Amino acid sequence: MSKETFINKTRPHDSAYKHVSGFADYTDDIKEPKDTLYGAIGLSKKAHAIIRKIDLNKVKSSEGVISVITNKDIPGRNDVGPVFDGDPIFPEKKVEFYGQPLFAVAATTIELARKAVMKAKITYKNLKPVVTIKDALDKNSLLFKVKKIKRGNASKKIINSKNSLKGNFTTGSQEHFYLEGQAAFVIPKEDNNFLVYSSTQHPSETQQLIAKTLNQKSNSINVLVRRIGGGFGGKETNFMTSCICALLSRKTGKPVKLRLDRDEDIIITGKRHEFYSEYEVGFNDDGIIQGLKLKLASNCGMSPDLSLAINERALLHIDNAYFISDLEVANYLCKTNTSSSTAFRGFGGNQGMMAIENIIDNISRNLKKDPSTIRKNNFYQKNSKNITHYGMKINDNVINEIFNKLEKKSNYKKRYLQIKKFNKKNKYKKKGIAITPLKFGVSFTTIHLNQAGALVHIYIDGSVHLNHGGIEMGQGTHTKIAQLVANSLGLPYDQVHISSTNTSKVPNTSASAASSTTDLNGAAALNAISNIKSNLENFIKLKYKIYNKNPIYKDQYIKFGNKNFEFKKIIKEAYLNRVSLSSTGFYSTPKINFDKKNFKGRPFLYFCYGAAVSEVCVDTLTGENVLERVDIIHDVGKAINPALELGQIEGGFVQGQGWLTIEELNWKPNGQITTFSPSTYKIPAVSDIPKIFNVEIFKEGINIEKVVNKAKTTGEPPLMLAMSVFYAIKDAIASVGNYNIIPEIDAPATPEKILMSINKIKNKIL
Amino acid sequence: MDSGVVKLLFNDKILELSNPDPNQTILNFIRTELKKTGTKEGCAEGACGACTVVVGELNKNNIEYKAVNACISFLPFLNGKQLLVVENLISKEGKLHPVQEAMVKYHGSQCGFCTPGFVMSLFSMYKNHGNYNNELIKDSISGNLCRCTGYRSIIDAGKSLNRISKIDQFSKNKKKIIKLLKKINSKNIFITNQDKKYFSPKTIKDLKKIIKKNPNSNFLSGGTDLSLKVTKERKDIQNIINLKDIKELDFIKKNKKFIEVGAATSLIKFEKFIKKHYSDFNSVLKRYGSIQIRNVGTMGGNIATASPIGDTLPILLSLNAELVIETLKNRKILSINEFFISYRKTKLKKGEFIYSIRIPLYKNNIFKAYKISKRFDDDISSLCASFNMEINNNKIINIFIAFGGMAEIPKRAKICEKSLKNKHLSIDVFLKARNYLEKDFNPIDDMRASKNYRLEVAKNLLIKCFHEIKSKKLLRVN
Repeated sequence: MSKETFINKTRPHDSAYKHVSGFADYTDDIKEPKDTLYGAIGLSKKAHAIIRKIDLNKVKSSEGVISVITNKDIPGRNDVGPVFDGDPIFPEKKVEFYGQPLFAVAATTIELARKAVMKAKITYKNLKPVVTIKDALDKNSLLFKVKKIKRGNASKKIINSKNSLKGNFTTGSQEHFYLEGQAAFVIPKEDNNFLVYSSTQHPSETQQLIAKTLNQKSNSINVLVRRIGGGFGGKETNFMTSCICALLSRKTGKPVKLRLDRDEDIIITGKRHEFYSEYEVGFNDDGIIQGLKLKLASNCGMSPDLSLAINERALLHIDNAYFISDLEVANYLCKTNTSSSTAFRGFGGNQGMMAIENIIDNISRNLKKDPSTIRKNNFYQKNSKNITHYGMKINDNVINEIFNKLEKKSNYKKRYLQIKKFNKKNKYKKKGIAITPLKFGVSFTTIHLNQAGALVHIYIDGSVHLNHGGIEMGQGTHTKIAQLVANSLGLPYDQVHISSTNTSKVPNTSASAASSTTDLNGAAALNAISNIKSNLENFIKLKYKIYNKNPIYKDQYIKFGNKNFEFKKIIKEAYLNRVSLSSTGFYSTPKINFDKKNFKGRPFLYFCYGAAVSEVCVDTLTGENVLERVDIIHDVGKAINPALELGQIEGGFVQGQGWLTIEELNWKPNGQITTFSPSTYKIPAVSDIPKIFNVEIFKEGINIEKVVNKAKTTGEPPLMLAMSVFYAIKDAIASVGNYNIIPEIDAPATPEKILMSINKIKNKIL
Repeated sequence: MDSGVVKLLFNDKILELSNPDPNQTILNFIRTELKKTGTKEGCAEGACGACTVVVGELNKNNIEYKAVNACISFLPFLNGKQLLVVENLISKEGKLHPVQEAMVKYHGSQCGFCTPGFVMSLFSMYKNHGNYNNELIKDSISGNLCRCTGYRSIIDAGKSLNRISKIDQFSKNKKKIIKLLKKINSKNIFITNQDKKYFSPKTIKDLKKIIKKNPNSNFLSGGTDLSLKVTKERKDIQNIINLKDIKELDFIKKNKKFIEVGAATSLIKFEKFIKKHYSDFNSVLKRYGSIQIRNVGTMGGNIATASPIGDTLPILLSLNAELVIETLKNRKILSINEFFISYRKTKLKKGEFIYSIRIPLYKNNIFKAYKISKRFDDDISSLCASFNMEINNNKIINIFIAFGGMAEIPKRAKICEKSLKNKHLSIDVFLKARNYLEKDFNPIDDMRASKNYRLEVAKNLLIKCFHEIKSKKLLRVN
C-alpha cells in the first residue's frame, strides 16, 4: 500500500445553495396540513413563589383557542430533566424561575395563541429568590455536594513558594442566541404514534422524553431533524418545547406547531454558566506555578440539567495548557432561581481555562514579566511534565510549537515593545496585546455517550443514501461525512445524499455535542461502508475469480489490480445476484475511561491545540475599544474540508469574543431577566470583528489517534482563542498604572467594566 | 380618490389586497400568505436582520432598492412598491443571483438561518452602489446578526462583487418594472378591516381632513417603534395614519441661516446631507440603527417618539433646532428646547404634527457629538452627548450641551453650560465644569449602563471634547 492519503478538499456547505436562495427548510418552514394548530406557552411572572391559583377561564374563552393544557394533562412524567429530575414541564406547586412554563394553549393561529396566554390570572405567594452565586454560596444553596479534587499538596507548596497571590475572578453567563429559536412541529399518526420535527441537537433524547411525557414507548415516537439554525449547546437539552408541543398534539389530535419567539426563548431556556473563582497561588521567580488552591463556583440555575458534567469539564480544563504539580479545587454547583444553565460551546472547559489564564496573567504582572514568557514557562512538555492533574498522559502535545510559531508570525515581541512606547505617548488611547494558548480535550466525559450509528444504502442506480446520528447545525457535518463516504467509495460527492437525521433510521444516538459529531458519526458511516464493501468484494472475487487482492475505489471504478469494474454496473450486477447493498454502521471511541469519583483516567481520546494574539486599543475616557488585529494558528489535524474548519475557527473566535466583551446578561434582584432580546442583549455585529484577522490552520497538524481522516474537530475549541482579547484589554488597562498595578476586571469586559477598572487604578495612583 | 386596496408588485405581477389587516406585518404576510418561507423571523423587533427584504421604490425614472425589516413593517407599507424576497433573486432557470453566488463561493453561510437576510442586505447594496468598499459593506450588513461565521467570509463575499458584472435579471427587467410601478402608485389609501383603520394620504390637506375625523389615531412615520406594540406587546393598533406617503413632508432645504428637513424625511437621506455641515451628526446617525431602520425611520418620527435615548435629540437640542408644527388651522414654530415635557411626553397636542425641523447653521461654532453604547453597530445608547460652542479669542462665548440617556427626556446640561460660558478655554475650567453635570443629571441604572458609568462618561466626554478642540484631532478609538 502507498502512503496514507487524506481528503483535503474545500467545497461549499451541502446546503449552501439552499441557504442563499431561501429553500433550506427549518422546523418552522415545514408546510403545515390544513388543520394545524399553533401553540403558545404561559409563563410565570415570579422567580420564586408558591402557586396559589391559576385561573385560565379568560384564556379558554379567548378567540381561536382550541385547547388549554396544564400539569393535569400530562399522562406520563412531568419532567424533562435529561439526567436528573428537576425540570418540570408545568410545576404543580412552586415556580422556580421567572418565565417558567405553567400552561400552554393550542389555537388556530400563532397570534391568537400568544394573545390568549396573556389573559391568565395567576396568584402567587412570594418566596425570596436566590439570584446570584454570592447569594447561593451565602445561603448554601447547592445542587450537589461540594466536589473536591486534589493532586500533591497545594497548601504546603504555596507556603513554601517564594511568591504568592490571592484573588477572585468571574466570567459571565452568555445567551446562545442561535438565530433560529426553539421550535417543534408534532403530527399525530395512527396507533397513537407521533411524527416530530424539532429544532434540537438531540433527536434521540427528544424521542425518549416525549415518550416518557406521553407515557408511551419510544417506538411510537419518530423524530426528524433536517437542519437547525444554530445550536451551540442551547438545543442539546431544553426539551420543553417539543414535549409541550407533543402534549398539545395529543390533547387535540391535531398537528401542532410551537415556536418560541425570541423573548420567550431567552427568558425560558438556559444559558452559559457564570463562574466565580477564588484562588491562592504560589510561584517561583520564573512564574512557574508551585501550588494552586481554587474555589470554583458556578451558577447552575434552578435545576441540575447538565451542570454536573459542565462543572466536571471545568475541572478537567483548569490546567489549560499548563502543568500544575500541586493543585486543589473545591467546586460548588450553586442553585439559583434563574433558568437552568445549560450546555454552551466549551461546556465549562472555557470557564476553567479563563480562571487559570487570569491567574497566569496576574503572576506575570506581579513579576513584571511578559505574560507570554510566563505562559511558556508553565506549558506541558513532551517527555516530562506531561501528566495532567487527572492522571492522563498527554501524547499529542504541540502547544509549544504552535505558540512559538505564532509569536514569530505575528511579530508579537516587537509589537509588545511598540505598544509600551505608544502607551507612554498617549494618555487617552491605550493599546494592549496578549497571546493565549488553548488545549481542549475531545470526547464526551460521560463515557457511554461516545458511540454513534449510521445507515447506508446503495441503490441499484449506484446512488448512495446516508443517514447518521449527527445533527447539521451549521458546522458542516453532513458535508464532511458525505466527503468521507464519497471518497471511500471512489464516487463523486454528488452521488452521496444525506437526508434528515431520523430516529427510526439510526437509534439511540448521542447529542451532536462535545465537538465529536463528525469524529463519531463519520466513523460509523465508514463502518457501514466497509460492511457493504465487504459484501461487494466477496461477490466480485467469487464471481470473477480474484484472489488476495485489495481493491481500490477510484473514479467510479472498483479496481482489483488490472481488473476494473464500473461502480454503477457492478452494483446492479450485485443486486441481481442477491447481494446486500445496505448496512448499518457503528462506532465507539476506543481507549477512553474515566473514574468520576476519584477523578482519574483518560477521559479524552485526544486534545486540540491552538493559540491567538490579540491587539486592542482602549479609550480610557469611555471604556470603548476596538480589536485592531488578531492572529491565530489552530490545529485541526488533517482537515477534511479546510474552508469549513476556517469558518468554525473564525466563528468560534467571534462568539468567544462576544462572551468576554459585550455580551452581558442582567437580572433584577427579584430574579427577572432584563436582557431578553437583541435590543438589550448584544452579540457581536460586523464592526466588532478584528480589523486585521489572520487565521491559519496549523499545517503540521495531524491526529495521532485513529480518527477519520486523521482530522481533529474544530467545534468548541476556537471559542477559547478569544481569551486573548480579554487579556489584551487587561494589558491596555494595566498601562494606565504604568504596569505597576494588576487591573481588577471580570468578564465580560464591557466598556463600563473597563472604565471602572481604569478608575480603580487611577485611584490607587492618587 | 381613496382606496382600500393595497397594490404591490410581487413576482413581476400586480397583487391587489383589498382592505388587509393593517396590523399584519410584511413578514407574516410573506410567510403565511405568499407561502414563501425563506424570509425568517429572528427577533420581531428589527434588531437581527433575519427578516430583511428589499423594497423597490420608484424614484424619478429609477428604482431604489431599499432593505427593510419585514418583521416590524406593516403590510400597507408595500403599497405602490415592489416586494423582493430571497426566493425572487434566483432566476427562473434556477441560476443563483451574483450576490447569492458570492455567498456560496466565500462560505458565507453556516447554519443558514440568517443567510437570506444577509443576501437581501447585500443585494440592496449591490443594486444601489457601484463600488463596494469595506465601510460600505459593513454599513450594509451592520443590521444583520450572524452567530456562526464571524462575518469575515460575508465581508469577503461582499468585496468580491466589485469584480463581477452589474447586469442582472433586475436591470434587464427594469423598464417593465418601472412601468408597472407607475401604474400602481397613485391613490390615497384608506383601509377598514373590522375595527381597524389605516390611512395613507398623499397631501397635507388630505391628512388634516383625516385627522379631523379621526383624532385618536397613531401617526406612523417609519414605525420602527410603534410596530413593537403589535409584535411584542401583542396589542392591536386601531387607527393608523401613515405620514410617509406625503411628499410635502419629505424634503431637505437649505438657506443661509438654517437647514430645513421635512418630518417624514428618512434618516438615511438626511445623514448623507448633513455630513458636510455637521460631520459628527452624520457619524451618530450612522450608528442610530441599521440601514434597514434608517431606510424607514424618519427625523420627525424620532422627535415625536421623544425617547430619552433617541439619538438625534441631544444633537438637535444643542444645535437649538426649531420645530415647525402644523395644527389643524395654522402653523407654529417651537424651539426643540421647549418640546420635551416628561418621559415620552411632548408639547405636541392632539391633532398636531411636525411639519419640519429647522437646524441652524452656525458659521464659526465647534460642534461635536458622541454616542456611547456597549456595541458599536446598531445599539441603543448608554448615553449620547452633543456639544455646540462658539469660541472667540480662546473664550467660550456661547455653549450648548445636551445629553441623551441621562434623564427621562433628552436634556440640556444648563448648569454645566453656565459654568463654562464666558470662561477661557482651559482644562481647569473644564475640569471644574464637569462636576456640574452631577447637578444637571441624576441618571438611572439599567441593563445598558449604571448610573455611575453614565455620569462618569458624561464628565469624561466634556474633557474629551476639550482635548479634541485643543489638539484639533479626534481622540476616538473607532
